[in-house]
Amino acid sequence: MKVFKELYQYREFLYTNVKKDIRGKYKASFLGVLWSFINPLLQVVVYAIVFPYIMRVQTPNYLVFLICGIIPWTWFTSSLMNGTTSITNNANLIKKVYFPREILPISVVTSGMVNFFISCIIILIFALFGGTGISWHIVFVPIVAIIQYLVQLGFAFILSAINVYVKDVEYMVNFLLNLIFYATPILYTADMFAGSKFAWIFKINPMAYIVDSYRRIFYAHLMPNFKQLGVLFICSIILLVIGYSIFKKLERRFAEEV
Amino acid sequence: MLKKDIAIKVTNMTKTFRIYGDKAFTMKERLVRGWRKNSRPEERTVLKNINLTIKKGETVGLIGVNGSGKSTLLKLMTKILYPNKGKVETNGKLTSLLELGAGFHPDFTGRENIYFNAAIFGLTKKEIDARLDKIIEFSELGDLIDSPVRTYSSGQYMRLAFAVAINVDADILLIDEILAVGDQHFQEKCFDKLEELSKSDMTIVIVSHSLGSIERLCDRAIWINDGVVAEDGECHKVIQDYLKECA
Repeated sequence: MKVFKELYQYREFLYTNVKKDIRGKYKASFLGVLWSFINPLLQVVVYAIVFPYIMRVQTPNYLVFLICGIIPWTWFTSSLMNGTTSITNNANLIKKVYFPREILPISVVTSGMVNFFISCIIILIFALFGGTGISWHIVFVPIVAIIQYLVQLGFAFILSAINVYVKDVEYMVNFLLNLIFYATPILYTADMFAGSKFAWIFKINPMAYIVDSYRRIFYAHLMPNFKQLGVLFICSIILLVIGYSIFKKLERRFAEEV
Repeated sequence: MLKKDIAIKVTNMTKTFRIYGDKAFTMKERLVRGWRKNSRPEERTVLKNINLTIKKGETVGLIGVNGSGKSTLLKLMTKILYPNKGKVETNGKLTSLLELGAGFHPDFTGRENIYFNAAIFGLTKKEIDARLDKIIEFSELGDLIDSPVRTYSSGQYMRLAFAVAINVDADILLIDEILAVGDQHFQEKCFDKLEELSKSDMTIVIVSHSLGSIERLCDRAIWINDGVVAEDGECHKVIQDYLKECA
């Protein structure tokens, strides 16, 4: 309970940190905040041009299909990459000021969420003009987003804390994210691997469930699979508790090690 | 729990740091030679068995040569560092001015940066709103307050940072060598403000090499030498003994 009380006390710090993250990052560029939306869009364009050529994609409305995967994935990578370095990049703050350390990873994941919700508008625009249309199912987006938030926060706690002591973590995260990108059905459908010896990868990959849920909502106009999401929710809580306790344990020597 | 009239209490506290060499080298060495006991990092004890009690409303100066452990002691009081042995307890809202302008973002205006900086000290939006005019007035920045901080001179930057820090209204204020800020006029102003605060019931701990300012502000001085309390008592006497030892 003390945790929440302190986080509540420092809520303005969380708010200004998120604001700095979102608005400060691109402030020196001409397009400013727009870059956080242009980047995933450009990525979509590249895949949409390249992929149909190298693989025979039979997915209808491939562009919409793609963007439903890329936008949540952008949030996932930014949370994990920036989350990992959230403590080490703020070394001067950690060494000089007392504040609840957990605010740093929390604000990274939170600012990613703000970006994600704004990006959902892009998904809707694509869905509207890309041939699939929009349905009432989008009311379930926040539920999926909360679960995604918890999963990412759990990972961000663990990775940011370990990265203080073992700086190699951030390089490994970079590589692993690249790997997981291809192990997540973003560019292709999971059905393509049904019955193959790789099908188990989608079973243990939380992002596979999350991307699938967004696709059901935006692309297929179906109810998300609540049974799967329920299990994922429980797993994410467990991950979060473990992650937070690791963070708390390692936190004591942050100022000496960063 | 601490008694009501005690602000800071340090009991049997020891602090050691681990000293690493090149981490990549250590890793390779370990892989080649195996995990041996003597491959553990070297440990350096910075503070040894410190006992201190600082009462509410006191203004205390910490003096000592470079590397004696003054700043480390201050960081332990703020809970930036944690002791290896013993306890450090504090009573009331604590603010430490170890660095001015923490969390400033150069591309945002002075006004926005007041929020960033004050928020790190744990103030809420409402509390900052209430102090905003006072802070801007103290900084003497005038219309500049709505320009990006990157356009400030380093003196203006420090003035804004100090103005925020001094208006946080803590019960305990910890200050590390930041007394020389801005031009002569502003330095005087900061000093007067600190003097005013030291006469209030705020508890202040100052680390400084400027013995003159310590003597002017503090009623008690603690001399730290090589990680132990060498002398603790009336300000003037401790400073005299310290000077004698240094000479």
